[in-house]
Amino acid sequence: MDETVAEYIRRTVLKIPRDEIKTMLQTWGFLSEAQLQTLNFHQTKDYVSQEVVQLCEDNSADIKQAAVLDIIYNHIYPNKRMWSVYQMNKSGEETEFFDLTDFKKKFKRRLQTALKNVTINFREYEDNAIWIRIAWGTPYKKPNQYKTSYVVYHSQTPYVFISASVIRSTLPLLCQALVVASNYHDIREMELRSHCLNSLKDIVFKRYSQTFQTYYPRPLQERNVTSENVDLRIIHENKNEKERILRVNREVFGDGPQPKLEFAQYKLETTFKSNPTLDVSDIKEPFRCLVKFSSPHLLESLKSLAPAGLADAPLSPLLTCIPQKARNYFKIRERKGFFPGSFVSP
Amino acid sequence: GVLSHLERLEARARALALRQEAAEQRQEQLARLKGRAQELRLRRDELRAKVELQQKRLLGNEGVATSGDADAAQPSDRAVLEWKMRNVQDLLQLFYLTGLSGKRTKHGVCFCISTAYEGTYLDSFYLDLVTKPQVQIRRHSVPVFIPLEELARKHLQTDIKRFLSVLSDHLNAYVGRRYQADQLQERFSGHLEGTLQRNSLCNVLVFKYNTSGQNEAFPFSARLLYGDPCRSLPTEAVVSCTSGAPAPLAEATAAHADAFRRLPLHRALEALGSPRRRPD
Repeated sequence: MDETVAEYIRRTVLKIPRDEIKTMLQTWGFLSEAQLQTLNFHQTKDYVSQEVVQLCEDNSADIKQAAVLDIIYNHIYPNKRMWSVYQMNKSGEETEFFDLTDFKKKFKRRLQTALKNVTINFREYEDNAIWIRIAWGTPYKKPNQYKTSYVVYHSQTPYVFISASVIRSTLPLLCQALVVASNYHDIREMELRSHCLNSLKDIVFKRYSQTFQTYYPRPLQERNVTSENVDLRIIHENKNEKERILRVNREVFGDGPQPKLEFAQYKLETTFKSNPTLDVSDIKEPFRCLVKFSSPHLLESLKSLAPAGLADAPLSPLLTCIPQKARNYFKIRERKGFFPGSFVSP
Repeated sequence: GVLSHLERLEARARALALRQEAAEQRQEQLARLKGRAQELRLRRDELRAKVELQQKRLLGNEGVATSGDADAAQPSDRAVLEWKMRNVQDLLQLFYLTGLSGKRTKHGVCFCISTAYEGTYLDSFYLDLVTKPQVQIRRHSVPVFIPLEELARKHLQTDIKRFLSVLSDHLNAYVGRRYQADQLQERFSGHLEGTLQRNSLCNVLVFKYNTSGQNEAFPFSARLLYGDPCRSLPTEAVVSCTSGAPAPLAEATAAHADAFRRLPLHRALEALGSPRRRPD
């Protein structure tokens, strides 16, 4: 077995939390159950990883099999990578069937004709997600297994989730291969990025809870009437206002959990508008300003702003349109209100 | 003599006094308890009145007499209101069950398409439309692999009924195909090798199966193509048998393919699995 493969397997095992190593190796399926029994998972991870490498040596693992372990790790811990969303366009009718083998063949062929040294692995999951792992090399160097790109594609949808590697120059080639393999015409990057892959999927597949006005009687929320103080002498000031805020908040954000985003960025390209009495003469150049909101869970925190009394309800549409417009990068230009930045064409 | 007589009288007097004291104490206690009972009764009446007031407030009947005894007219008013509410709820439930319901909003209409397959109600999908200046879709919860934009381009401006009808067909068919695949996976997992291979629209299904239900060999391999997105039965079914399988199995593939084309997936496998009596 190649030394680089051994080292790669060792480092991949080291990344896995100790309690998860056994289950992940079982999912991998490369080592037999008997071999797994011989491992002592209570040792330090250093020893465990070395024993795993030894067993892989016995089974003569190659880089493709080692790559599968890496895919499994990234599938279980996708939030360690930053994901961007890309949208593909096609002008034809969508009556073609999606053929998985055809897709894989075309994708591999496109990449391998352009770049001989590249490792490509596919893995399909039950939610119709196809995970693709690509390790890039150059015509003269073998693929660098530590700088990999990951692509997650759900068949028959125009959206692709890419976690690009550090090598930005490979991105156009990757996009091209995707377009060719999935029978689309072009691809563009959406202004939507986050660490949480599932939340990105929720936003573009519209799986998050939206409120629609409908007559269908949904189960009303229980209001705790019983615990209220029935003493008529106590009046809650601002009770109506509080109820209005809650109602407006529910209309905007819905009832369910919000998709998890970490930031929203607004790039202002507007001129500075000041109080006419101030002596700042009207500057014709745009006032360059970047406003960035960061949070461990941005949308939940926006949802709790109004009820906590920190902001007026309803919140600015600039903040609340994020899931619906499927973007968290905005460019605000002059001209009546706001103008969400134009799409970046490929 | 006299002294002993006096003694006896004294003793009797003492006993009497004691009894009187005890009686007085008992009277006092009785009076106290009666007073307490009276207090508690008053409190209970107060609380009852508050509960009634609360209930009336819940029904929205403000300005009603707050006295403890409910007027004879009140219960029937409330009963009428409840009956009206139940009526309206049933009517709305009826509209929902027809599969298409809508509600006017301040900028247009919001439609709800509810889907069903074989009598089981499944998902609901929403379309929020604006009507001015043109009919446009403002928001929706239709999955991204249903060609909504294309259907909207074709029909939304010209014939909204047609648009809704075609969209409803697409959605019902998708949900029906998905339901069949899920049922097959759940109820016939013993017949299948591994998991069913499908795609997002559930219009290409590939699986290996057997008819016995025991987890041994899976000689049959099926590939179902649903060419019509508005239908939940396949347009093409290809069934093959592994080479080296006994002849009767190989001959049965045509019958299997036919069954898949005619019947819903899970019923087809049910029909194929049940032993059929041959006349010979």
